[in-house]
Amino acid sequence: MNNGNGRRLNGETEEDDDDEGSEGDLDAWERTYADERSWESLQEDESGLLRPVDNKTLYHAQYRRRIRSLSSQATTSRIQKGLIRYLYIVVDLSRAAAEMDYRPSRMAVVAKHVEAFIREFFDQNPLSQLGLVTIKDGIAHCLTDLGGSPESHVKALMGKLECSGESSLQNALDLVHGYLNQIPSYGHREVLILYSALSTCDPGDILETIQKCKKSKMRCSVIGLSAEIFICKHLCQETGGSYSVAMDESHFKELILEHAPPPPAIAEFAIANLIKMGFPQRAAESSIAICSCHKEAKVGGGYTCPRCKARVCELPTECRICGLTLISSPHLARSYHHLFPIVPFDEVSSSVLNDPRNRLPRSCFGCQQSLPNPGNKPSLRVACPKCKQHFCLDCDIYIHESLHNCPGCESFRHSKSPIATEE
Amino acid sequence: MKFQIEDVTVYFPYDHIYPEQYAYMVELKRALDARGHCLLEMPTGTGKTIALLSLITSYTLSKPNNPVKLIYCTRTVHEMEKTLAELKLLHAYQTTHIGDRARILAVGLSSRKNLCVNSRVLAAENRDSVDASCRRLTASWVRAAAVANPNLPTCEFFEEYEKAGSNAVLPPGVYTLQDLRAYGKEKGWCPYFLARHMVQFANVVVYSYQYLLDPKVAGYISKEMQKESVVVFDEAHNIDNVCIEALSVSVRRQTLEGARRNLNKMRQEIEKFKATDAGRLRAEYNRLVEGLAQRGNLPFTDNWLSNPALPDDILKEAVPGNIRRAEHFLHVLRRLVQYLEGRLETDNVEKEGPVGFVASINTHAGIDQKTLKFCYDRLHSLMLTLEITDTDEFLHIQTICDFATLVGTYTRGFSVIIEPFDERMPHIPDPVLQLSCHDASLAIKPVFDRFQSVVITSGTLSPIDLYPRLLNFHPVVSRSFTMSLTRDCICPMVLTRGSDQLPVSTKFDMRSDLGVVRNYGRLLLEMASVVPDGIVCFFVSYSYMDGIVNSWNENGILKEIMQHKLVFIETQDVVETTLALDNYRKACDCGRGAIFFSVARGKVAEGIDFDRHYGRLVIMFGVPFQYTLSKILLARLEYLRDTFQIKEGDFLTFDALRQAAQCVGRVIRSKADYGMMIFADKRYSRHDKRSKLPGWILSHLRDAHLNLSTDMALHIAREFLRKMAQPYDKAGSSGRKTLLSQEDVEKMGDGILNEMQY
Repeated sequence: MNNGNGRRLNGETEEDDDDEGSEGDLDAWERTYADERSWESLQEDESGLLRPVDNKTLYHAQYRRRIRSLSSQATTSRIQKGLIRYLYIVVDLSRAAAEMDYRPSRMAVVAKHVEAFIREFFDQNPLSQLGLVTIKDGIAHCLTDLGGSPESHVKALMGKLECSGESSLQNALDLVHGYLNQIPSYGHREVLILYSALSTCDPGDILETIQKCKKSKMRCSVIGLSAEIFICKHLCQETGGSYSVAMDESHFKELILEHAPPPPAIAEFAIANLIKMGFPQRAAESSIAICSCHKEAKVGGGYTCPRCKARVCELPTECRICGLTLISSPHLARSYHHLFPIVPFDEVSSSVLNDPRNRLPRSCFGCQQSLPNPGNKPSLRVACPKCKQHFCLDCDIYIHESLHNCPGCESFRHSKSPIATEE
Repeated sequence: MKFQIEDVTVYFPYDHIYPEQYAYMVELKRALDARGHCLLEMPTGTGKTIALLSLITSYTLSKPNNPVKLIYCTRTVHEMEKTLAELKLLHAYQTTHIGDRARILAVGLSSRKNLCVNSRVLAAENRDSVDASCRRLTASWVRAAAVANPNLPTCEFFEEYEKAGSNAVLPPGVYTLQDLRAYGKEKGWCPYFLARHMVQFANVVVYSYQYLLDPKVAGYISKEMQKESVVVFDEAHNIDNVCIEALSVSVRRQTLEGARRNLNKMRQEIEKFKATDAGRLRAEYNRLVEGLAQRGNLPFTDNWLSNPALPDDILKEAVPGNIRRAEHFLHVLRRLVQYLEGRLETDNVEKEGPVGFVASINTHAGIDQKTLKFCYDRLHSLMLTLEITDTDEFLHIQTICDFATLVGTYTRGFSVIIEPFDERMPHIPDPVLQLSCHDASLAIKPVFDRFQSVVITSGTLSPIDLYPRLLNFHPVVSRSFTMSLTRDCICPMVLTRGSDQLPVSTKFDMRSDLGVVRNYGRLLLEMASVVPDGIVCFFVSYSYMDGIVNSWNENGILKEIMQHKLVFIETQDVVETTLALDNYRKACDCGRGAIFFSVARGKVAEGIDFDRHYGRLVIMFGVPFQYTLSKILLARLEYLRDTFQIKEGDFLTFDALRQAAQCVGRVIRSKADYGMMIFADKRYSRHDKRSKLPGWILSHLRDAHLNLSTDMALHIAREFLRKMAQPYDKAGSSGRKTLLSQEDVEKMGDGILNEMQY
């Protein structure tokens, strides 16, 4: 069940380490019991019989569906993507978040995946900023302001994990609206609400608030943890966001990570715009300076703002002194692939596989491991429509979600030899 | 789309059709071919109405030399408007495809209250007073007087309409009530009389059940309908009750007092006429000697009553001599009222057959059966002679005459029951004399006899073999269709135990048990915490609802429920209930979540939809049996057993289960919708009860969901709601087609038919 998790490189591995540390005294069998809960993924068919679950194909089918929906949007029209995002994550910490249908509790599961999401988010959108808001006792609190440092957000969230009282969607939206309204027009305003409760206790008319959000072009998305709620659906429809409800923990993780790649820009809002940015130099190792963000003297490290020469510790950020957006060129480069996604690979149909006249490559072009024999397991390979190379399912996911380059096409561009020999 | 069913080309206004709609049309077409009656059950939300309309209009188009008229009966004005709107769509489609040949005239007909455009008349608050104030302006003698004295008010719309005479016709098209009003305003013609006039010529007429079933109204509205008509009763699961109500009368003390006042007033009028215009009374007398049938040549604004299901030969008979003179008739009525007053002064419940009752009237008040039979028409004639227009004030005496005529006409299928007080409140004297009809077939018989095909259709007609027996007719087709679903969007459950594993039920000996009350409370509380937006609860009666809500309030459960959702309650007051419903919807809309407490057989259970987020869950607390100690019910059961060989238990269960199905069916109104249904009573798990639920519910009721406790139900609810929240593919996967395109229909032929039936 863990294939494909490798792509969440930094976030996952660290977290796995933590788990091992805390649960080190468990035996291996206990651990599979406590962590994986494999019985939950059992399914019943119509007559109530248990159906064995083929996780790998299932996972791949989900991924293909996702990628197809993405590419179908992309092919119909050339879509502009909002690369500079200002996202508020609203975490519902009302009474309902203490419920135990996710283990150990909804709140803990949400926190865990928000942490992973924050890291993934900055990985994919280096130019963007993010803030955290919680709802508790019917009131919305701002946990962290918009900022570009994953660590500070994660720390702030983990310190505040307790829940009580009602939930209020309107209060949260009002608060976030107040913050996001000041964002310059090139930034994309987004809200992602992780909603545990099934109702909202509002001080006023929430429908007005929704209209207000719509007017100021906030894209509100909701991930529900228990069931579909009308007002959330309405909110998402009005503001152009997406609404989804998680079936279980792994589905929740999938849903939240869907929000990591930048969404298509709202049409009337997507005017071409020139933005002033600075590319600061890394300071010399031995130089000592007081950084503008922590107000501490530091030896080495840090970057110098090209306009006002102030010292900052991390990139990307906004200069505290002159307000210039500071980034490095790899950040820009990493955002680039969103604009030119690679086309989804075609599944090799079983008729082609079974046809003895076709001589198919034996191994995956990506990892060189041998592909399954056409005889016993058909259709478990995909082919790139451009370079016609075959790949295994794991490579397919890795190429689309992490690498963003097709190894076949790339090698074809540099040397034509491998293709030539095959033909 | 356009396709062939045998020899009929069907024009269907949508690009896709559900397989069950297709199957429905095929069955309907066969019934029309056979010129017989049919019973068709198909779940709501599958497009019954459009299937019916499109097949019947297409049938007429395919057989131009044998045109069929469609008479479509609905229960409410709202449904009438919806039907007409669908017909409009269909008509537009048909005319674009085959041009002017498809032109039809379709009108909706409703009471004056819904059709009148005269602002002075509309100021009246209820239906009867609107009728009366219309008559005040349009009665022939009022208009005659207005010619002499122009200061008398008349209705300008009616005058215009009269002036246009035979030119006042509607051009072909589909007219909803609103269209009629707009057209009337534009032309300056009275829409009500225009519609009533056009009903005879229209190809499609949409109106309320009463216009066909209630003999008082049916006589003059539906008299001129041709035999080659198809009559459709939509949402007809309660048709037997409608028939019975149409022929039942209840008399209370207030009625009798009112009748006395009416009689006094009439006496004064007669005295006045004697002094001024004795010739009029004389003329009436002569007319009565010749027989009632002569009444036909009266101006038609004046005829507002007709004879309740009297055979034609009686109409031609002369009115008995002892009531021909106005004073004598009043004397007879006075004696009758006095006799009834005497009967109400009783301390015990009395039950009598009509024959015995008439005999006792004869001995005590000296009124024989024939006289009683003519009361209705005699009163009518008298009121016309006296030129009484305030008919709403004379309702009481009309009720008495209704009663007299019915009791005089029928010897079987009725009983007279006198109760000195309401069984449930024995301390408050409230005597009531009821003439209750037990035989639903009496009122509907003329309809079956007269028209070529009668279609009875609804979402719940199970068990489908009982209806022909109750209504006493022989259908050529009786079928039940299932619903083809892309996903299992309904989740019925039978909950038999509370969370403490003790059985729950509203059986008489268990209903007041504290454990049961608490278990029901816990069930609702737990459900409120996992179900989003709206929940609807149905209780078996008002008194039970009051009791259980009270005890929930005392032990704090209600307070806990209120933390999750707001609670609204249906009351007997219509205005209050409407307000509660409004606020309930608002609470669901804005995400607060709400629960609506309602009563099976109440107004809400019958006519209000709780679709989409307004009803994600419906809980039926208990089995909604009728109040079995009611004298009327007992009498009816006895009659059913003796006449139709229907066992008491069978009928009671059938009636309770159809109410339950009706209640839970409120939540699903379309295929895209989803909802859960919980039957919370241990008796539902018994096969004899459960098997009477309609097929479309039964087919989703899995064996695993038959005997649940609260916690198991909770788990199922969680899973179901999560599953339903996932995006889905509307057209259905390739294996199970739920939307057919034109090619599919052509390819498929008959294979699908067998699949859709039970």
